[in-house]
Amino acid sequence: MLKIKNLKADIDSKSILNNFNLQIKPGEVHAIMGPNGSGKSTLSNILSGKKGYDVSGEILFENKNLFELEIEERAHKGIFLAFQYPLEIPGVNTNIFLKTSLNAIRKARGEKELDAIEFLKLVKLKAKELKFDEEILNRQLNVGFSGGEKKKNEILQMSILNPKLSILDETDSGLDIDALKIVADGVNSLRKKDNSFLIITHYQRLLDYIKPDYVHVLMEGKIIKSGGPELALELENKGYENFN
Amino acid sequence: MEEQLKIDFEKLLENSNFSKKNVEIKRKNFNDFIEKGFPNRREENWKFSDLNQIISKNIKNLSFYHDLSKPNKIDQSIFIDSLEHNKLVFVNGRIEKIEFDYEEKNKIQILDDLVLEKPNNANNSLLFLNNAFVSKYFKLIVKKNYSLLKPLVIYNITNKDLVSKSVNLKVDILLEENSSLKLIELSNDKSTTNFININYNFDVQKNSILKNYKIDNNSNSNVKYCFNNINQDTNSVSEIFLLSSGSEFIKNEINCNLNGKYASAFVNGIFNLNETKHHEIKTNINHIVENTKSYQLIKGVLEDKSKAVYQGKIFVESKAQKTDGYQLSKAILLNDNTEFNAKPELEIYADDVKCSHGSASGSLNEDSIFYLMSRGLNYQEAKKLLINGFLLDVVEKITDTEIKNLIKNIINL
Amino acid sequence: MREKQIDQLKDYKYGFTTDIESIKAPKGLNKEVIKFISNAKKEPKWMFDWRMKAFERLKNLKEPNWQKPKYPKINYQDIYYYSAPKGTGEKPKSIDELDPKLLETYKKLGIPLQEQQRLNGIAVDAVFDSVSVATTFKDKLNEVGVIFCSISEAIQKHPELVKKYLGSVIPLTDHYFATLNSAVFTDGSFVYIPPGVRCPMELSTYFRINASQTGQFERTLIIADKGSYVSYLEGCTAPMRDENQLHAANVELVALDNAEIKYSTVQNWYPGDDNGKGGIYNFVTKRGLCKGINSKISWTQVETGSAITWKYPSCVLQGDNSIGEFYSIAITNNYQKADTGTKMIHLGKNTKSKIISKGISAGFSDMTYRGLVEISSKAKNSRNYTQCDSLLMGNKCGAHTVPYIKNKNPESNIAHEATTSKISEEQLHYCQQRGLNPEEAVGLIVNGFCKEVLQQLPMEFAVEAQKLVGISLEGSVG
Repeated sequence: MLKIKNLKADIDSKSILNNFNLQIKPGEVHAIMGPNGSGKSTLSNILSGKKGYDVSGEILFENKNLFELEIEERAHKGIFLAFQYPLEIPGVNTNIFLKTSLNAIRKARGEKELDAIEFLKLVKLKAKELKFDEEILNRQLNVGFSGGEKKKNEILQMSILNPKLSILDETDSGLDIDALKIVADGVNSLRKKDNSFLIITHYQRLLDYIKPDYVHVLMEGKIIKSGGPELALELENKGYENFN
Repeated sequence: MEEQLKIDFEKLLENSNFSKKNVEIKRKNFNDFIEKGFPNRREENWKFSDLNQIISKNIKNLSFYHDLSKPNKIDQSIFIDSLEHNKLVFVNGRIEKIEFDYEEKNKIQILDDLVLEKPNNANNSLLFLNNAFVSKYFKLIVKKNYSLLKPLVIYNITNKDLVSKSVNLKVDILLEENSSLKLIELSNDKSTTNFININYNFDVQKNSILKNYKIDNNSNSNVKYCFNNINQDTNSVSEIFLLSSGSEFIKNEINCNLNGKYASAFVNGIFNLNETKHHEIKTNINHIVENTKSYQLIKGVLEDKSKAVYQGKIFVESKAQKTDGYQLSKAILLNDNTEFNAKPELEIYADDVKCSHGSASGSLNEDSIFYLMSRGLNYQEAKKLLINGFLLDVVEKITDTEIKNLIKNIINL
Repeated sequence: MREKQIDQLKDYKYGFTTDIESIKAPKGLNKEVIKFISNAKKEPKWMFDWRMKAFERLKNLKEPNWQKPKYPKINYQDIYYYSAPKGTGEKPKSIDELDPKLLETYKKLGIPLQEQQRLNGIAVDAVFDSVSVATTFKDKLNEVGVIFCSISEAIQKHPELVKKYLGSVIPLTDHYFATLNSAVFTDGSFVYIPPGVRCPMELSTYFRINASQTGQFERTLIIADKGSYVSYLEGCTAPMRDENQLHAANVELVALDNAEIKYSTVQNWYPGDDNGKGGIYNFVTKRGLCKGINSKISWTQVETGSAITWKYPSCVLQGDNSIGEFYSIAITNNYQKADTGTKMIHLGKNTKSKIISKGISAGFSDMTYRGLVEISSKAKNSRNYTQCDSLLMGNKCGAHTVPYIKNKNPESNIAHEATTSKISEEQLHYCQQRGLNPEEAVGLIVNGFCKEVLQQLPMEFAVEAQKLVGISLEGSVG
């Protein structure tokens, strides 16, 4: 599904990622762990198409060169990024935002756009599945949301947009244990044989709730070790400092 | 008035020995002033304060020449004794004392026979008037890497002898790289109904710091205008504080150009007015290059029939990205006949900026008064306490503790 | 005279011209032209005299020049002051008698006039160049005593009301353009809501400039008698031409005791092409008088069109407890310029006003908010709240905020806030990551920015306005 080969990324001539390689198959859950400044967020930014990086190498998503696609075209193809810091957009109702977004994606895929009633039905269903209070959907997008509410809102959007590859950029940071469980339940309920996940995190604790198939350790812009879930525990015990 | 101006101008030339070049410039400026006259409310800048009307209402038979040949006595009691400081003393517009006892002599230079320059604001007739009639044009230079050890106080004293005169002062201050100056301007007027026109030019070079405190607190019947032009280079800081309280009319105008990156300007002011006083603060903060910052806070308390005006403008050039501009004005109106006018203006041509302004005016909060009275204060005490709290906020912005305390003392905070 | 057509109709979908024969007064501004207009309207002598008084006054007035957008000198002798589609001299009795070309025009503009196609719940007065060509739902409004007709008709049929109120809010002598309008106004709408009546439907006037080299000088007068309510909406479009055309309207509103008028504008005059050629000069005087106690006037405007917009819909709060509101969205793109805002003059006790202004500038355009809030010494216990927000897109455009705040009453409060911001890269990235293209993302964010104002529009127009906000900014991203 996703193939990253020799990815190199610089910002203002400072190297962030270097010789980065990763391959994700349909249905797999990968976790990338790394200390601050190791290039975790840069990876998610580059996958989503954020501008401002000098990149080289190759990223194939379902055999399409990602570098040739605009941000929104990547979203249309099924890449979803749950932001580490979801943006506040004053005056824009969350429901309207989601509907506009869903219909833009459906339209690009040649599917029928949902009308207001169909959309609300879908939202209600998903909110119920995820045990979310629908009330937040009537508020302005992320405006005045608590940290937990913002992250939950990201997961709800993910479940409605039903992406093929979901990238969770430090979704666990700043969450208390209850919110963490809700987020993890959300992710687990979306795990299907065609849906893949890339979970970017600093800590191991989220992985107690979402069992990854693979764990990779990112240091100074490249993966220095890959393994199964046990690698996360090893990392937690040793700390990043002593890992090398 | 034109007749009087002409006679007085000739008298001035006759009794002074200006250089040929200066006479030429003075004549030109004189003619420009004659053409434009005193500004009136038809000019946008003077919309809320019609100077022409204010002068004719307050000053009978204004004349433009007075003899500066004889020295004046300095009333020593005016000097601030709680603070060690350097002195420049003007009495009735004549320099009477220059004293920099606390400083290294070769780090400070004073020039007084300069060639006049064309005013940098071609629309401001009062700068023409100043250039035409000013008798001496001073320049103070603070040398590279020197910080004055003690503040400099410029005393602007007028005594009983001065009546219905136009007095003009012009001072340039140059802070060379890495220098700093704390400047207090203290006016003390025992004179009646004069028009005092002061023009300051500050050149604040790289990494230099200017702190300027303008104190007009003793009650007098003069009409004043003070124009301050400030040019700031990279990483420089200017901090202006205005206490606008004593004169019948005063307009302080500040034109600040942030020409170098990371330059910042702070303007804080207080109007504390009673009787028929009418004061104005007008600012123009020009963000010319990126990463510059300005902050303005003006508060007023108005009693009796007084009137305060704040016109504050933030201008941002298209290349001045990452500008941070903030401006807030607030006034409390204590009587039926008081008036507060504000024109907080933003003119912005760059998109990556953070600019905002706010303005509020109204009465004292009756709920707060009630609360304080329920704790045992009488109405007057409660009012006083709230007003002090309201003004203290501005005084607290003063970064020099010694001077902050001095000003708190002056206004009994 | 040959009319030059502009080929590109891609951006401005109302840019077409209706090929219809018209009757015009000779070019120029003089007594004969005023007489021509007055005769064409079959006006009584008092009306002609009133026009002449304005014309005489005009000779002593100068065009104001304090506004920020400057424009080349207008040759007032080179304008047609009157242009009417042929056959409308006698207004047709029924809409079916109208020239099919006119019907087609309004249909294309989305304002069908025919009985069977009319918009539900909205009565429309259609003004084409200098004349009102049709007014719908007249009978239904008559049943409740609401008068909704062209001002020309009102001058003939309701002279007592017109005499009493015309010029009572905007005096003949007010300023150059208002006086010019008083001398040469051609048509516009007249509304009278009798005491205690809540107007059963939205009233709307649709202004269309079609003829070239023609100025439009419309005059609207709305009177809400005691305890009545009306919501009124105006819309405007014009063909794309590479000349500048002048539109100088006067709108007067009078609200008596306990009456409320809600006046909404969606202004979409032709803005000129991408290089700033052509477009309408929209110099309009709008003023409402809250004459009675507890009266309320609320202005809502969405200004997206015109080469230059220069207007300040204002409220004079004369009656005690009266309320004035101003909600504005102004968008300038390419080389458009706008200098707009409001005046709130508090004269009565306990008067309240609220100003919400959202300005968006893109391209090479320039936007000024200019507003006056004045609380007189008699207006005890009055309040004003003002919020002006500007959004800049790019660094070739400008945003200027110029509020004038005058408080002469110690028991009154004025609060003013203003901010300037931009759409952040991060916000755009977030929206795009959710599948929106950059223009959709900008449209969404800008609509969010304008939300408080859009909410004020009648439902039927809010959707239209939202789309317009998006369209006006096309080409400004990237």
